[in-house]
Amino acid sequence: MSMRISSRAAALIVALAGLSLLTLTCGQIALPLADTVGALTGTQSSDLARQIVLEIRLPRVAAAIIAGAALGMAGVLMQALFRNPVADAWSLGLLAGGQFGVALTVTAAAFAGPAAVAFLTVFEGPSITLAAAAGVAAAALFMLALGRRVGAITLLVIGLMLGFTSQGLTSVLLHFAARAGGRVYGGWQDASFAAVAPAALPWLLAPILIGAGVAVATAKPLSSLLLGETYARSLGVKVTSLRHAVLAATVLLVAPVVAFCGPVSFVGLIAPHFARALAGTARILPLLPLAALGGALLALAGDAIVHAPWEQHFLHLNAILAIVGAPVVILILVFSPAVRQWR
Amino acid sequence: MLDLRSLAVGYRSAGRALLSGMDVSAEPGAFICILGRNGAGKSTLMRTIAGLQPSLDGVAALGGENVASMRPGTRARRIAVVLTERQFNPGLRVEDMVALARQPFTGWEGRLGDGDRAAIAEAVAVMGIEPFARRYFSNLSDGERQRVMIARALAQTPRLMILDEITAFLDLPSRVEIMALLRSQAKAKGQVVLLSSHDLDLSLQLSDSVWLLDGAGGFSVGTPEALSQSGAVGRAFDTDAIRYSPSQGRFEIRTSESA
Repeated sequence: MSMRISSRAAALIVALAGLSLLTLTCGQIALPLADTVGALTGTQSSDLARQIVLEIRLPRVAAAIIAGAALGMAGVLMQALFRNPVADAWSLGLLAGGQFGVALTVTAAAFAGPAAVAFLTVFEGPSITLAAAAGVAAAALFMLALGRRVGAITLLVIGLMLGFTSQGLTSVLLHFAARAGGRVYGGWQDASFAAVAPAALPWLLAPILIGAGVAVATAKPLSSLLLGETYARSLGVKVTSLRHAVLAATVLLVAPVVAFCGPVSFVGLIAPHFARALAGTARILPLLPLAALGGALLALAGDAIVHAPWEQHFLHLNAILAIVGAPVVILILVFSPAVRQWR
Repeated sequence: MLDLRSLAVGYRSAGRALLSGMDVSAEPGAFICILGRNGAGKSTLMRTIAGLQPSLDGVAALGGENVASMRPGTRARRIAVVLTERQFNPGLRVEDMVALARQPFTGWEGRLGDGDRAAIAEAVAVMGIEPFARRYFSNLSDGERQRVMIARALAQTPRLMILDEITAFLDLPSRVEIMALLRSQAKAKGQVVLLSSHDLDLSLQLSDSVWLLDGAGGFSVGTPEALSQSGAVGRAFDTDAIRYSPSQGRFEIRTSESA
């Protein structure tokens, strides 16, 4: 890895560590920094501080970092696969597809009876991750088939519409699931990192680590695909199997995020642009760590703002991400040379 | 080095071959122009020889090896293409584009070795694209883009280079310069260069050999002089409005008297 990439990654890691510490310290109950560090290291600290830091704030911070990193890497993969600067798991409707998959599973269990609901509750982690993965994969396959027929902007609009449709269907389904007595994931239709229980963290992390591994393995041929399909083939890339591998990596990265944190918007769309600007290249391999760190930083910053000590709890994660993210997307649409090709 | 043996090309769905029964050979260092009107099958022929499209029949062989059955990695180390397809991507800089040519030669990370860097530097120098190496490809003019794509193909250090209508966006001095440059590259490196063009004059002046597609499934192969004198050029290109004059070596507008 070049000096430029390493030094930028190191700077991002320092920023991420600083922001994590800040998020662990601040909140409705402000803790002295010494108590926070004490709770983290297991040395002298009050029981209250230990409980707040380790049981409430740390899982939230960890979820934000893991989910943000996953969305950032998935954004890099999708923007390369679709050759579309505004592609990501949220904008192309993959997250909403995953939500729909989970809602369908929960509803089916609710109607199947108490035994099914009990099963779903016991195996909550794997079962909702699998349900989300099926939904994400279905949405991704649909968009990929469509992506060969329509331009970048049309695809974005269709992706957003697909997202609205899935979310509408999800809310209808969950309504019936509630009436039938099934478990409804409370508040889950809004994105949040606060609902991830410490026990769920391994289920969030494991598929994402595998997905990151697949992403790194496909990075080189995916860079060739930036030249277009025919040039990629002329460089020895087996395009069809590459597509499948990238799709698998995307599903592994994105499905656990939907399952545990909901539809986190804009992070995956912006992080790759941030990474490209830092890296000074569009080659995939150096972008992956930078987009992961940038995505983690953005997600954690959004979470920090949501959980800052406001008078009352009034902010939603996606509201913050939209206020920051939507103007960035508008700038990309107006100024990106790649988008200009399609106008 | 390049041998076509009863090669037939086209799309299976079309029901019949665009070209068939092609038996041609080319020696290392040959600079070959493929001429023919739109739709005569130039691009299809070139894509088939490049292994990007299956042949309908027969074989294209490079160094005695069937291109169609080469492993993709091997083929990529031996054949480079420049195509008419124009696909652009966000954030790709010129230096990235040229460096991607070395992917068939690098490990899983795509890390460039000294040999790769040397090949890239030489291609960049030959095509004179250093001044915009750090710029985004999508911000370049058509002519600049074409130079970058040719540099990318040169950096792939192929045995066979296939270039489809690369001079279409260039002004006359640039066309002459680039065709002459490709010709000297072919001689210097012992590569076979296959180039399709609508630049009849230039192609007939610079090529060692011409593959002339008549647009009706037939073709003739020969030196520019031979094809010109035999009337094959005229048969491929003459219309009601123009006709090729072998004695003058150029096209004339048909007037009512001469028609």
